[in-house]
Amino acid sequence: MQNAKDTFYITLRTRLAAVNPARNITLRSVSRPGILVQDAEAPMIRPLLDAFALSWTGLQADLQLPAILAEMTCEIQYSTAGTAANAGLDRGRALEELDYEVLKLLYPYSAQKMNYTQNPAAAMETMVFWSEPEFGPIVSERDCLSRTAKVTVFAFQDQGES
Amino acid sequence: MADLSTQIPCDAARRVAAALLHANGGTTACLQMPPLTGDISNAGQIGVDAPGYQSLPLSPAVFRKSRVTLEEGQLPRYELLVSADAVAAQVSELQLSSAQCLFMMAAGVVIAGKLFRILAFTASETQGQAYLYRLLLQEAAGEWPM
Repeated sequence: MQNAKDTFYITLRTRLAAVNPARNITLRSVSRPGILVQDAEAPMIRPLLDAFALSWTGLQADLQLPAILAEMTCEIQYSTAGTAANAGLDRGRALEELDYEVLKLLYPYSAQKMNYTQNPAAAMETMVFWSEPEFGPIVSERDCLSRTAKVTVFAFQDQGES
Repeated sequence: MADLSTQIPCDAARRVAAALLHANGGTTACLQMPPLTGDISNAGQIGVDAPGYQSLPLSPAVFRKSRVTLEEGQLPRYELLVSADAVAAQVSELQLSSAQCLFMMAAGVVIAGKLFRILAFTASETQGQAYLYRLLLQEAAGEWPM
């Protein structure tokens, strides 16, 4: 299941670099596309604005199939306070841009499962695929707008995969 | 209307704060900072590679339990008072823009071999200059020795 989670994150990160190369973050001294896995980073005092944070919540396994099918819920959280040039009055527009990027990042809804613990990464036998996003309501806190989009990610366990 | 009164800045508040921190048990707290050259590999972003945090000492500092009403199951919270001189030295050493940047980059604080997470921070200022930083900390759930 970890390989599926890693594949999902790195697929979205690669697509973000193509969809909006300007959306970057600097985290742990590395400048990278503005997406991160929350459980692979130190807890943050405040969420990073204008970036996507993935957190893995639900998990179900279908054991009735020849291979175990894992069904995992990924929450994509993002927040914005708009831009300095517009004194934050464009925060609604900035959130809409993030919403649109979520749609672009998720399509197509599948990727070849990879093992990123090896260097170079090795392709595995199955695919990872996921649902369309379910957008939650906008949460407004002070001058910041946030939203969470839920995606269900499916992956078969490969032979010998832990 | 602008305040045009004469205010001669001096470091008295900073020196007093540092002396008080020394006198009240002045300990050393170590910020856990990411290395200056980060890990650009995929493994570095998915929790496979060790982050290689560096310890950045801040002294004098005073560590105490904060006066927060505890609820069942909640970890206790602590306060760390740090001399602004110590913070300014590290901000300058790392060539950062501000103390806020330093605390935002830190993954935690190690005090007496235990890791604490930073929940919030604030600065006490006089004449527009910080003389003391106050960090609100919570014990990290993983109780590994550092």
